[in-house]
Amino acid sequence: MDKSKNEQSKNKPGVCFPWEEKLKELNEIKGDKEIIKKVWEDTDALGYIYIWHCLLSF
Amino acid sequence: MEKLYAERLKRYVTAMRKGKPDKIPIRPFVAEFTAKYAGFTCQDVTHNYENAFAAARKCAADFDWDAVVGNMVYVWTGLTEAIGLKYYAVPGIQISADTGFQYLEPPEEHAYMRPDEYDELIKDPTGFLFNVWLPRVSRFVSARGEPTSLHNNLSFLKGGMAMLSYFNSFGRQNDLLRKESGTVSAISGIFKAPLDIIADKLRGYLGLLTDLQERPKKVMAACEALMPHLEFLALSGADPEKNVPIGYWMHRGCVPFVNMEHFDRFYWPTVKPIIERIWSKGHQVLFYAEGNWDAHLKSFAQLPDASIVYHVDHGDIFRVKKEIGHKFCISGGIPNYLLSYGTADEVREYCKKVIDGVAGDGGYIMDASAIIQNDASVENMRAMTDFTREYGVY
Repeated sequence: MDKSKNEQSKNKPGVCFPWEEKLKELNEIKGDKEIIKKVWEDTDALGYIYIWHCLLSF
Repeated sequence: MEKLYAERLKRYVTAMRKGKPDKIPIRPFVAEFTAKYAGFTCQDVTHNYENAFAAARKCAADFDWDAVVGNMVYVWTGLTEAIGLKYYAVPGIQISADTGFQYLEPPEEHAYMRPDEYDELIKDPTGFLFNVWLPRVSRFVSARGEPTSLHNNLSFLKGGMAMLSYFNSFGRQNDLLRKESGTVSAISGIFKAPLDIIADKLRGYLGLLTDLQERPKKVMAACEALMPHLEFLALSGADPEKNVPIGYWMHRGCVPFVNMEHFDRFYWPTVKPIIERIWSKGHQVLFYAEGNWDAHLKSFAQLPDASIVYHVDHGDIFRVKKEIGHKFCISGGIPNYLLSYGTADEVREYCKKVIDGVAGDGGYIMDASAIIQNDASVENMRAMTDFTREYGVY
């Protein structure tokens, strides 16, 4: 990922640790990549909700 | 009960869309008043949200109110203590059990974000919050480079699970309000302005004022970096049925906290596009204009018709009606001091004045000026409610 795309993904709402970066950590995916991507993004969004509601709501 | 709920929802939504319902809807934002009424202390409802929920439901059952917030006390200090947040004074810990929770703002030199850290915030707001901000506002979270600790680990584990538990419990609370008393949940979702966030939680009010003079481009860039996140969060909590509005809590972005140029240059351009995009998706926003925002009514009038509900605190509600009442529903305007220290007759008289001046064509919702806390008298809350029910029939 080039620098500008990396910076864009870091300022994307709903994301703490972008899938593209997580993917680099996984050497090989033997099964369905889309399931892993979706569940990663869904659980990552919980972390996002946590920190932003600390700022916004509490 | 379901029939009553449907009647109330229709009444509330009709008024919010600038229509004329059968009666003036009553939607008091009752916070610590619920504790007083239900026999709890402020500590009871702030530290145990089940008490807060029970108190809100008791009030909803006993008063003829169309809509309430499931827990207007809102800040559950069990959660804030699990995370270790420093900026609260908690009833029963730092302050009396009978005093509502307080926000503490550090002195400018100890602000939670330093003036040379704008670039880091702008580049990666979420990363900044986790890596820099949270360790400073939490007594437990380790800063970058520090060893981790049991306190650090538990802060995230307990904080995350507690927040999820709390947020999920609002679904049950709203369902109980509907089933037990036919009461509508008044708002869904939360929004705050980028400039207010910088003042409230990052630089502090005094720090922001310094920055507006000394590094205005950085302030603007930070507001722009926060915008997509605040919009995302507002929509993530919005009512899927698109009936009730997103609550927008307006703090210190108005004259005289900032000057008109700052409002026009920083505050409004980083709020207006968000409100327009939210409205384009079918959601209204409740402008809870705490303090006096009368100087900015012409700006608010730029928004699409019926896109917002405008709540009046210390503003002149009759001026608000004149300047933006043709476009938006108005709520509030009954002074809190009257509900606390006035007589029931004075409350009725003031309600009559507001109803006569503002509610004639519909598009008005009865409420106090500000959040109703435990200084409001039960007798005066009954006077506001019963008078509006009797007099506020179209």
